[in-house]
Amino acid sequence: MREEARLGAEPSDLELVQRGRSGDQAALGMLAKRHHAAAYRVAISLVGEDDLAQDVVQDAFLKAFRALGGFRADASFRTWLLTITANEAKGALRKRTRRRETPIEDVGPILSDEVGPAQAAITAQEAGRARKMMEQLPEKQRLSVSLRIEEGLSFKEIGDVIGSSEGAARVNYFHGIRRLRELME
Amino acid sequence: MSDIDCGTIRELIPDFVSSRLGEDELQLVEAHVPSCGECRAELELAQMILASRPVAPAELLSRITRAVVRERTAQRTPPRTWWGVSAAAIAALALGIGISSKPATQTSDVPGYAYEADEGEIWVSDDGLLAGAPLFDNLSDDQLQELLDELTAGSVGGSA
Repeated sequence: MREEARLGAEPSDLELVQRGRSGDQAALGMLAKRHHAAAYRVAISLVGEDDLAQDVVQDAFLKAFRALGGFRADASFRTWLLTITANEAKGALRKRTRRRETPIEDVGPILSDEVGPAQAAITAQEAGRARKMMEQLPEKQRLSVSLRIEEGLSFKEIGDVIGSSEGAARVNYFHGIRRLRELME
Repeated sequence: MSDIDCGTIRELIPDFVSSRLGEDELQLVEAHVPSCGECRAELELAQMILASRPVAPAELLSRITRAVVRERTAQRTPPRTWWGVSAAAIAALALGIGISSKPATQTSDVPGYAYEADEGEIWVSDDGLLAGAPLFDNLSDDQLQELLDELTAGSVGGSA
């Protein structure tokens, strides 16, 4: 019996990728279930509107699944998918003449079950304002902040997604944080 | 308090707010933040960002799944000749079905042929002709219907 089955553990992304290459649609479904929310956050962070973000995420998954044969596991599947998503989002933005800002009331519901320590001290209004301020950051800073805090990616992984070095990703993140603090004051 | 200490703490803050730190690092942050206003402000900002992260719409996952299934199903369909694709295009025209330029907007009840016709490469036949629309642009509705009747009756290539 395989170790993961014996332990009742979820299959790894890599195993799901390998099964997906063999045509296992259930494996693809599990990958989508695991990562669609993160992909959506990347997409909405870049394109700023729900309908377009959903288009972007759908197209990103289709592209990723078509290209599974070429996935070499140099990066995690998630980082690879988010890179594709970011590229799709940038492509969608290029097709659009102007970007509509997301009204503050359109920010998604505040999470209550996935937050860290002392989260109760943060009000929804403050959080919504921080989100609004994030929209004012340059694209790479915004994405670096989002990927680091919301997705927990390393700076190396963020660099892969935004197309820069690990060091540049780190600089983008800290510049973004500094700018946000200025905007919030 | 040294700058290095603050730098270390700020590197850890994103993982702290997401509860991804190990015990040692967790204690490091918890010991530092109460006495450092700058790091505390950064911690609060990270909490705000995490708390306001967008939530994926409930329908997104099923939408992705449908699109994947649709594409996989289309891939299993034997390749059509350019006449076959033409028939599909004609049927779509005659039935007034708009062929979207974006698969993302297709609904699950869109016939497979329409989805395939939307894929750019399938419009180009082996002999380089664009299948479908260019050949039939000048036909009237009656002529299209007559052609459609012939095609659906299995007489493709007859009098067309």
